[in-house]
Amino acid sequence: MSLSERFNRWIFESWSVSAEGLGLLRIISALFILFFLIPGYGTSHFNFLADLPPDFYAPPPGPMMLFESFPSAAIFQWVHTILLFSLFAMLLGYRTKLTSILTGVSILILQGIIFSVGKVNHEILVAVVPVVMAFSNWGAAFSIDSVRRGHNRQTENWPLTLLALFIGFMMFTAGFPKILGGWLDPTTQATQGHLLNQFFVRERQAMLAEFMVQFDSVLFWELLDWITVLFEIGFLAAVFSPKWFRRFVAFAVLFHFSTMMTLNIAFLPNFLAYAVFLNWDGIYQSNLRLYRRLTGKRGERSKKRSALLLSAVVGLLFFLLNRLSSMDLVLRESDLTLHEVVFLFFALFVVMWIGIKKCA
Amino acid sequence: MKSKTIRAIFITVMIWLPVQYGIVGIVGYYQSEPWPAFVFPGFKSVYVYNEGFEIEQAYIEVWTEQGEPPVRLLPQEFFPELPLSQVPGFMRTHFLTDETNRQFSNQAKRWLYQQAVQVTELDAALLDIVLEVNYYSHHPHGLERDSVTEKMRYTIKLIDQNEPQRTI
Repeated sequence: MSLSERFNRWIFESWSVSAEGLGLLRIISALFILFFLIPGYGTSHFNFLADLPPDFYAPPPGPMMLFESFPSAAIFQWVHTILLFSLFAMLLGYRTKLTSILTGVSILILQGIIFSVGKVNHEILVAVVPVVMAFSNWGAAFSIDSVRRGHNRQTENWPLTLLALFIGFMMFTAGFPKILGGWLDPTTQATQGHLLNQFFVRERQAMLAEFMVQFDSVLFWELLDWITVLFEIGFLAAVFSPKWFRRFVAFAVLFHFSTMMTLNIAFLPNFLAYAVFLNWDGIYQSNLRLYRRLTGKRGERSKKRSALLLSAVVGLLFFLLNRLSSMDLVLRESDLTLHEVVFLFFALFVVMWIGIKKCA
Repeated sequence: MKSKTIRAIFITVMIWLPVQYGIVGIVGYYQSEPWPAFVFPGFKSVYVYNEGFEIEQAYIEVWTEQGEPPVRLLPQEFFPELPLSQVPGFMRTHFLTDETNRQFSNQAKRWLYQQAVQVTELDAALLDIVLEVNYYSHHPHGLERDSVTEKMRYTIKLIDQNEPQRTI
């Protein structure tokens, strides 16, 4: 096989998702963004930024430098409103390609303003996922678009390969500076140093943090340094094999889970991107079987109804979790939130369940 | 979309990703990290000092004119509206810079006054920005803090919200 053919196969045949699988993914992704990943912390956060004097406007090099100070609270509300409208349209599958792109762009604008306090958070995947997936035709099923005349049911697989490439490369950019910074030097235990920094400076002291601060084994911490670097660098190579990429995504879940337990950093935005690589056709089929077994209905309509029921249940659960999380009933002394902890435990459960199923 | 166009997109992205990473490295070295960029945080620091760790910690001390002992706050306590993940970056960019960049406009001093009053409920007059370095080392029963040194301290004279009206 020629290099060109191998390149084509990698782009077009690495991943395969049906219209139904993509439809479910679109709905769950939109709900996930809507309830948990919209940039900022609501009106009070936007008002705080809008009131900051221009001295504290420090945009990162890039398009935000076109402005000289934070926009007024009204601008924040406008962008926020556009984001909500486009996100709702994406959820319902109305002009899905356009509204998915608009969702990504609105998220980028909000992030850009928020990051102009002088600190960039690395959450660009929240914007990248809807933009890239817009080209997969993820509005082909369970959408308003799908009932419109002349609608196209043809889905595209290549956006998944492209998204995998972005994730793999970005992971590489996390690993490479660590090599330069001395993480692989056996006399430095960088992970332990970061734990101390998070524990004392940022007071991230929830979960297992206190126990780990007292866990003083050079071998253990050095091993973690090496595993972290190898994992992050290796992600880029895994992009070229779907099987290996899924394994790395599964390992990423374990990695983020352990980071949450020790450093109290959940990095939830990444999970939106990881979720794209779940077997959505399998999820759709399992849900359909369950629906048919419970209701006894076998007709063509059961396909749509099963997906809509699942979406409604997920939407309700997300809503309840969002409300519970914002009530600050648990983890009050930590900047970890209840929904982050719930999602990471759930992701760990999913990874372990898939792993056990594969081994059995 | 035609497969030729998609191939072209992939080739462009595969070239662009390392190029933008290089740009991020160069611009980040001389200025600050550009945005938007397809990078994740490197966390490259190792915080190692001899056989232990050195951890920097910033504080904001709020002084009143009455000469009472200052109220010492962590940056996240002084700026509770900011997400914790942004507080160290905010401090680094605006307060923990070299002397030449520590210029605050009257508007900023008024805003800081307001913030100080809101957080401490005191009639604040001065803010001391303090940066300490904590040294931790291995002991038989775990890591312990050995010593603390003050790396930076400077004062910002706040402007009371009512001050301009008084002068008029």
